[in-house]
Formats: sequence, C-alpha cells, structure tokens
Amino acid sequence: MDMKRDYYEDVQLFTSGVVVFWMAIMLAALAIFPFLATSYYIYMANFLAINVIVVIGLNILVGYAGQVSLGHAGFFAIGAYGTVILMTEVHLPFLVALPLAGLIAAGFGFLLGLPSLRLEGPYLAIATLGFGLTITQIIGRIELFGGRQGLHTPELFIGPWHLESDRDFYFLLIPLTILLALTARNLIKTKVGRALIAIRDAEIAAETLGVNLMGYKTLAFAISAFYAGVGGGLYAFVLRFIEPEIFTLLMSIMFLAMVVVGGLGSIMGSITGACLLSWLDLQLRNILSIPYLGKWLEALSQEWFSITGVSNIQLIVFGAILVLIMLFEPLGIFGFWIRAKKYWKTWPF
Amino acid sequence: MKRQGWVLLLAGVMLLIGLVAGVGAEEGVTATEIHIGQWGPQTGPAAAWGSVARGTDAYFKMINERGGINGRKLIHHMFDDAYNPAKTKAGVKELQEGTGMFAWVSGVGTAPGLAVRDYLMERGVPWVGPSAGSLHWVDPPHKYLFAVYPLYALEARALCRYAVANMGKQKIAIIYQNDDYGKNGLKGAREELARHGIELVAEVPVNVTDSDLKPHVMKLKKSNAEVVLLWTTVRHAVMTVGISKAMRFQTQFMSTSTCSDFPLMMHISKGAWEGVIAATFAELPDSGYPLLQTYKQEAFDQYAAKGERWGLFYYAGIVFAEPLVEAIRRCGDDVTRERLVQELESLKDFKGISGKISYKPFDPNDPSCRQGQSQTFLVQCMAGGKAKQLTDWATID
Repeated sequence: MDMKRDYYEDVQLFTSGVVVFWMAIMLAALAIFPFLATSYYIYMANFLAINVIVVIGLNILVGYAGQVSLGHAGFFAIGAYGTVILMTEVHLPFLVALPLAGLIAAGFGFLLGLPSLRLEGPYLAIATLGFGLTITQIIGRIELFGGRQGLHTPELFIGPWHLESDRDFYFLLIPLTILLALTARNLIKTKVGRALIAIRDAEIAAETLGVNLMGYKTLAFAISAFYAGVGGGLYAFVLRFIEPEIFTLLMSIMFLAMVVVGGLGSIMGSITGACLLSWLDLQLRNILSIPYLGKWLEALSQEWFSITGVSNIQLIVFGAILVLIMLFEPLGIFGFWIRAKKYWKTWPF
Repeated sequence: MKRQGWVLLLAGVMLLIGLVAGVGAEEGVTATEIHIGQWGPQTGPAAAWGSVARGTDAYFKMINERGGINGRKLIHHMFDDAYNPAKTKAGVKELQEGTGMFAWVSGVGTAPGLAVRDYLMERGVPWVGPSAGSLHWVDPPHKYLFAVYPLYALEARALCRYAVANMGKQKIAIIYQNDDYGKNGLKGAREELARHGIELVAEVPVNVTDSDLKPHVMKLKKSNAEVVLLWTTVRHAVMTVGISKAMRFQTQFMSTSTCSDFPLMMHISKGAWEGVIAATFAELPDSGYPLLQTYKQEAFDQYAAKGERWGLFYYAGIVFAEPLVEAIRRCGDDVTRERLVQELESLKDFKGISGKISYKPFDPNDPSCRQGQSQTFLVQCMAGGKAKQLTDWATID
C-alpha cells in the first residue's frame, strides 16, 4: 500500500513507472494540442489554465490552512491591473511585471491575513468579501487605472518573441501553470505545508507545538494572493482588455466553488475542479443543442422560469451539478478519484 | 481491394462536399443561408438589456418569413454572455471558428464588446451596431466596425440647444456619471453652450456606486439651475428627480436616450418622471410610423415570447440590425464581406425606425466615417408615461 518509509519517498514526484508514463503522455498531449485545436479551444485551455493557477493558490489557503476567502477576485484584479500598469507606466518587461504584480497582491494578502488571526469561519468570509468588493471600487475611481473605462493590454513581447495569438500565449501559460502547480506541491510537502495543515486541524495544538500562528496564517494568505495575482496578470492578456466590473463577487464565489468541488486540500483536486467548473461555465449554454433534451429544457424554462429561456435553465443545471457533487461526494472530485483507486486496487474483491 | 474502394469513396464524397460548398465561398454564407452572430446578457447584472438580442431575433424571423434576403435565410446565432467579457470572447470564438459567422450584429456592453473587438477586426469579420454609445467603436475607426448608436455628446448638444433656443433658459447644470458615458455628455453640453456664450452653472460628478445623492442635489439646488441634464444610470436619474422633488427644487430635467423608455421610467420613479425631456434615437413605441407598426405586427406580435414588452430596449435590436440587413440586400447575390463593407459605406440617409444613417468610405483619421447615426429628436414625458414629441428628427453637427 501507500506506506511511506522516509522523507524522500514522500516528496518524490514520480512514485512509479506508471506515473512517469502517464505524465509523459499528458505532457505530450498538452504539447500537441495547440497544433490540432482551433483558436477557440486554445482560448478555452488558456482560460482553464488561469483558473487552475488561482484555484491551486486558493486551495493552499482554504484546503490546507483551513481559512476562507471570498475576496480572491480582488487579488486577481490587483494582479491584472498591476501587471498592465507596471508594463505601460514603468515599462518593465512582462516576465518581471507579472511576478512583481503577484508580489503586490501577496502584500495585500498579508494585510488581509492579519484580521484572520482573530476572525474565523463566517466572520472571516465577510471580511474577505468586503475586501474583494472594495478593491474594484477603488480601482474604478483612479484615473491611472483607466477608471471605469478600463485598460487595453500592451503588445506582449518576451525578448524577441512576440506573443500575438492565443496559441503563442498557450506556450507561455501552460509551462507556467505546471511550474506553479509543482511549486505548490513542493510547498505542501515541506515544513510550511505541515504547519498549515496543523493549523487547519487544531490551532491551539499547533501553537503549543511551536507553530507561529501569525506567521503562517498571514503567509498562507500571501501565497494564495500571489497565485491569484499571477493568474490575474495572465488573465488580462487572455482578454486583452480589463475593467473593474469584470472582477465581481461572483468570480470570487466561482473560485471557491472550484476549490470545494475539486477537493479541499488536494492539488490534483484543484486542477480538476477548476477545469470542470470553468468548462461548464463556458459550455453549458450549448445545452440546448443536445437533441430532444435541449428542446424540452427550453420549453420548460420558457413556460415556468422566464422569457429568456436558455440562460436560466443553464444556471439551474449548473447549480444542480454542484449540489449533486457535494451530496454524493463531499470530498469533491478528488474523493471520486480516491474511491476509484481503492476500488481497482482491491478488484475483484 | 476492399480497403482501396473505401478510400476512393471517401475522396469522392469529400470532393463532392467541396464542390457543393463552393470552394472559396464566403465564411458563413451558403446558397440558402447567411449566418449572423450576436451576444446579449440574458442573466447577470445587465439582463435588462437582454431584450435587444431577442428583438433582433424576432426581426430576422420576420425577414425569413417573407422569404429571406435574395433567397437566403438569415440564421441568427445568439448566446448569453451574462455581461462577462471572458464568456463573450469564448462564445464569439466558438461560433466564429465552429459554425462560421458571416457578420456580427449588435452585442450589448462596452466591456464585452472591447474584449472581442480586436479579434473580429483581425479576422476581418464585419460587426454592425454595438449596443453601447461608446467612442471606443469609432475612435479610431475600424474598417469592419460600423456604429449605429448615436454618441452621447450629440444628445447633450441637442438638449442644450433646445433649452437655450426654444425655452430661453440660461442657467444649465449637469449631473454626470464619472466615466466615459457621463463625460461624453459633459463634453457635448460644454461645447454647445460655448456656442451660445454661456457656461454650465454646475457640473456634479456621481459615481456608479454612490447610494446617497442628497449632497449632489444640494449642489444643483445652490446653483439655481433652470435646467438640469441627467447623464447617469437610470437608477441615479430617478433618485435625482425624486430627491429634488422632496427638496422643493423646481427645475426642468433633461436626460439621455438611455432614460427615454417613459412607461418604465414612470413606473420606477412612481410618477416623478413626468415632465422630463429626453433625447431619443428611435421612433416612439406608440408612434404611428408605418415601418414601426409593421415591425410590431409582423415581428413582435408573431415571435415575441409571452411576457415580453414592446419597448425601446426590444426594438433597439431591430434598429442595430437594420443597416446590416439593408446592406446585405444591396449585395444581391454577391454576399461577401468586402462587398458588404462597400454597401454599408454607400448607405446615405438610410431611414429605418431610427434617425437617418450614413457611412463614408474608410478613413483612418475620421471617426465619423463609421458613426452611422447623427440624428435625434426630443420628447417629453407626459402623464401615464405617454410621450409628447417636441421636435422633429434633426441632424446635430
């Protein structure tokens, strides 16, 4: 079974040849994909990858450290605006501006982490919620940030490489996503990760063991905000246009939903949760083109819900999927994975 | 041997498909169909504007019922983007690269539109009538982007001109939203008043999220303005009028076309909207204008879902699509994008249910070459939300 005998076994990336094999297949698929798919699917992959980055970061905070945040759209906005402003006003190259904007977001994350020392559960949720809402208001009032008219992103150059199309951006984004996912995984396996988990499980016990609560809680917020900030900076270039109203409360809630649906405290869960929910978010509007069922749903919606038909049913289906996943697998998609693995290990018994 | 047969058959079928589809045919156009795309929020913060897309849909159905355009039916692909630019971009790309759209029409919102503008322009896909009065569409102009919605600055000029010339007012103030919508109104008002040698007596900015407008109204009251221009959201406009009434601040309010849906405004303001003068960019809902009546009977009555209301936000969807339909009609059998752009550019004083629409050949330095409408007329809100027409359609230079 999964018995680990020493530390190096625990941090090992590839536990067996099988894992290496499938990882290689996945990497190859990711590399070939942009040459086969149309620009729409590449755009979607980019959109998914950005959500993956943010959700991995949020999972460090929610899943591992046991805090909650309804304000991640705020960090996301800080990252997006930070990157664009640093490039247009300070004339920094993208690869410097992006992590720098991430650090700015991390700074705000640290500040938001301070009240978390006293606030818990619903109270913390409200505090972070306030933060998320305030940030967009502030940005909307500052002329430098384009006010409510928004900002266009500058042309993107990395050295001599001019990233014009979604495909170009994909080749930047996917390696970054993998890098950030591996970083998060490593972090969790170190002292920091164990401290965070200890805080989540029992704060007082952790403190008596010598875990610095203030340090680690604010660190968790900072790391999480850094991921969101980097995600935001990348998002600006996927849309090529940003304005304050993009970063809504709904966005924060979606991030949190992705974490919970994917599986709390699991990197793999973050990835699958982010992919599944963002895919549904973009694709559910096509539910009406399913033969028979689509027509029936449209009629149902028009009869009972609203004249707009389509869209309401799409949100209802979206909600129903979330409820069903939580009902049947509280651990999220990661829970399904664990169950499936156990089942096959002992199969046919 | 059998396998070779299959390969041959497959090659044959593909060749046939290629021939039927017409190699090199325009994207989104077949012998019997023309595919037109549109986004519109049916959910989310801007769902009230969702009726624009439904209006276009009914209009296209009406055209198809009459036999389409030169034998081709208009296939309307609309999707809900919930006013979320990421979704707008996804949906536009999906339809453009999947089904293939010949052109795009309307599309609600500045942010969603700006998220896809460059994509459509780079691919050379025509886009007619973005539903937002923003300068972003025409300044700088784009070859394939044709704006229909009149600029807000223009409406401000028309209102100021009327206040000074017809009503003999001298003290004019403005309360404006602190963004490009409001600032366009401010700019127009300043320019027009400068011509008459007067200045605004008060300029009061308001932020979208402000919830208490009493200080703003106080400033207006102190200025003793005889006329107050409302360049804000519907909500703020109604609040300003309501608070003024409570403060016994008697003045003539004037507003943009965004607040010209009088039955709706009367409903929201509980009657306080009566007497307000507004600019408008299309015929009034109860006007006897024959073309509008035709649309009401043949599009709205036939195809609108029950519960839909015949209002400005509904037939705005027709207003934005009219020039596109007319240009496609003029293309005859040669429905290509280049031809469409030519035909749009040749529209001169085209009259549908909005003001006259004209475009000019593309000039990268002239925003007006892609700004179709520059006409407006003024109406006053009467009891019960009825509208009284104050002026005729007039071109504002």
